Amino acid sequence: MRDKNFMVAGLAMVVFVMLAAAGWANWMNRRHIAEMQSQRAMEPMAMGNMAGMGAGGDGAGEMTSPMVGKMAANFTLTDVNGKKVSLSDFKGKAVQLNFWATWCAPCKIETPWLVELEKQYKAKGFEILGVSFDDLDMDDAAKLKSETADIAKSANQLGINYPVLLDGDAISKQYGDPEVFPTSFFVNRQGKIVAATIGLTSKDDLENDIKKALGTGE
Amino acid sequence: MIRWLSVKWLGMNSLSLKLMSVALALATLAGQQNPFANLWNDAGKKSGAKPTDAVRYMYPEQVTVTAGKATPVEMHFEVKAGLHINSHVPKTKDMIPTTIAFPADGSVKLDEVEFPAGKDFLLPVAGAPGGGDHLSVYTGEFTVRGMMTATRGEHLVQAKLRYQACDNRACMPPHTIPVVMDVTAR
Repeated sequence: MRDKNFMVAGLAMVVFVMLAAAGWANWMNRRHIAEMQSQRAMEPMAMGNMAGMGAGGDGAGEMTSPMVGKMAANFTLTDVNGKKVSLSDFKGKAVQLNFWATWCAPCKIETPWLVELEKQYKAKGFEILGVSFDDLDMDDAAKLKSETADIAKSANQLGINYPVLLDGDAISKQYGDPEVFPTSFFVNRQGKIVAATIGLTSKDDLENDIKKALGTGE
Repeated sequence: MIRWLSVKWLGMNSLSLKLMSVALALATLAGQQNPFANLWNDAGKKSGAKPTDAVRYMYPEQVTVTAGKATPVEMHFEVKAGLHINSHVPKTKDMIPTTIAFPADGSVKLDEVEFPAGKDFLLPVAGAPGGGDHLSVYTGEFTVRGMMTATRGEHLVQAKLRYQACDNRACMPPHTIPVVMDVTAR
């Protein structure tokens, strides 16, 4: 009888140990899930509807976009001065399409770098087209005028000296419906998208992508 | 039956039986919390949640007020970890404020709306001295207060919270979520 009691008590101990191990594994798993959730919450923006991350820097901004490798779709938009601007106007040049918005704080950090890089590489045949994704009231002329003036003012305050085009939503589908800003596509002299950045990246990453578009980078 | 079999066949005393019972109960509980279950995916599928839903309305889902009399209500929201949204009073005009709107039919109104003060925030960006503009933001949970007035009866209210969310490196366009609650006015 005594032996049997020892055996049962021993079995119960074994079960307890196994449960403790299962509990620990469960806790670790839940912690991992919580971390993943937190990470996913941060990344939807940088990930958007784009593919996975590529290599580069601290992992932010440098992404692999399904648009890379495709020919850049031509478009015609109106700039803040009312002038029609088409991508095809820049045939033979390397072009960065920078999708931004006045309400986007990371865009405001990136823009001064773009202004500098545009100056630096302009002579080599590089152009930037800023494409604003600010909402526009197309049916109300007075509001549209005021909204356009706000975008122009913001661009001016940021020192932008390249064309700023309105109504980015009109060309969004052609460029994979980017869900976050800033997003940039780097188009080479042949009109092919050779790189993309999604979210704020470093000035060095931007410069590398510009070099790729110019055909002088890796 | 199990107890009878155990006692009869194994000759256990009551202490051993209790130990075994506790172990079995814990084993059942552990089985329910399968450490290898993919809880995140299940929850995501069930809720139909999209990753771009940066803000979630938490509660209340039901509100009872006195008909025709302004009653204080608190609406609780949660901003996903790692994200921030502009407060109701951003520091600059170009930032889009968080706002709430109730249906215009007048059956349920929210007056004297009070948003919490935003937290001062600076984007932590290496290579950008100063990190850009100071922002006024909400993170984590925040509460919107107001005085609710409703006409007598049951109302399914679908208010709207508009916000614009970012993380430290990117921003999403402005987005609106429904704020749904059953309002009973007696």
